[in-house]
Amino acid sequence: MISLPPSERDLHAYVDHQLLEADRRQLETWLAAHPDVAAQVLAWQTDAQHLRASLSGALQQPANPELDPAVIRQRIKRHSRRHLATAAVLLIAVSIGGVGGWQARQATLLASLLPMTDAMQAYRLFAQDNILPADYQVQGHGDMQAWLDRYFNQAYRLPDLSQAGFKAVSGRLLTTDQGAAAMVLYEDPQGRRISFYIRPPGPSNMLLPRGSRSADGLQAEYWSGAGYNYAMVSPADEPTTQMLKQTVKF
Amino acid sequence: MHELDEQLRELIPRLRRFAVSLTRNPSSADDLVQASLERAIVRWADKRPEGELRAWLFSILYRQFLDAHRRSRRYARMLEFFTGRDDAQPSVERTVMAQSTLQAFDQLNTEQRALLLWVSVEGMSYKEVAEILEVPVGTVMSRLSRARQALRQLSDGEITSPALRILK
Repeated sequence: MISLPPSERDLHAYVDHQLLEADRRQLETWLAAHPDVAAQVLAWQTDAQHLRASLSGALQQPANPELDPAVIRQRIKRHSRRHLATAAVLLIAVSIGGVGGWQARQATLLASLLPMTDAMQAYRLFAQDNILPADYQVQGHGDMQAWLDRYFNQAYRLPDLSQAGFKAVSGRLLTTDQGAAAMVLYEDPQGRRISFYIRPPGPSNMLLPRGSRSADGLQAEYWSGAGYNYAMVSPADEPTTQMLKQTVKF
Repeated sequence: MHELDEQLRELIPRLRRFAVSLTRNPSSADDLVQASLERAIVRWADKRPEGELRAWLFSILYRQFLDAHRRSRRYARMLEFFTGRDDAQPSVERTVMAQSTLQAFDQLNTEQRALLLWVSVEGMSYKEVAEILEVPVGTVMSRLSRARQALRQLSDGEITSPALRILK
């Protein structure tokens, strides 16, 4: 209950319709008998009305498509994907070089000497250790090629390994010093995994002659074309290695 | 998730209006709305608001604005330091006479504009506003009272006295 004469706060609460019904009626009766205060209250009410009227136009602005929640969600996703990619490349740098900057540098030098070390590291992290969730997963008739094309212009098509029973199941974006890289994981019904790796050629990592090498139980087939370097990585000494050599015609 | 998007879409015009009244500039207002929606969507996942969605969004937007404002002020000071003069000086203070309520409104300080928009235009309760500003309801009421007096004086074409500016 308010007391009379009303405090200034009560008057504002009255203007803002925040008084209880009984209080409101009581105050109105009192205002009727006090024209000076009533004039003050009326002026506030009028200001509020003018403000509402002059700001109502601002609600009628044409929509800005950039502000649609669906568009904003996509933007958030892109950002987090970039963060993930950065996280992934950090992991790779650390796992190649161990701790310590100098070691990492050594490893970077080494990596530029031995082709596609990063492709093999990516295979270890993602295909063997399952360290990070995929950025893209094929669902139903999802199209891995279309996903890849979003990031790599006119790159060679993904190898078709379906004859050998391997299907592309997921993709991950990574970053390298030279730009975006990606790894696409293939799986066969037995759960064996092969990865396809694509990256921009670095200044020191130029385009590669067709070749292959193995290290630490992994086998990489690599080649270049259409402005990118590619590698297929699989565990060494498995039938898949041989299969790769035969199936993938570059 | 999509249910939230629907609710957000309905509130976007209100957010844009609030943002314009804070920034006084439609394009930076939309940047502000965009940043606020991003934050709201990200936060929604782990910390849903307890009260009304509108008040929650207003509060996010208001904070983003204050942060950005603080940053730009810092930047302006830095600029002043290097160039030897203040490029970001507000136009001839607030001695201009207001010809309409809207013009008077534009001359109020940030918090007063926010307060009047929330209470007079959006019809929010004192309690909601108190939660946004993180002050007691009584403080909201006295600040609102000052904002109203200031608006009244400016609308009447009275020249803002230094005393009034201290009240900000």
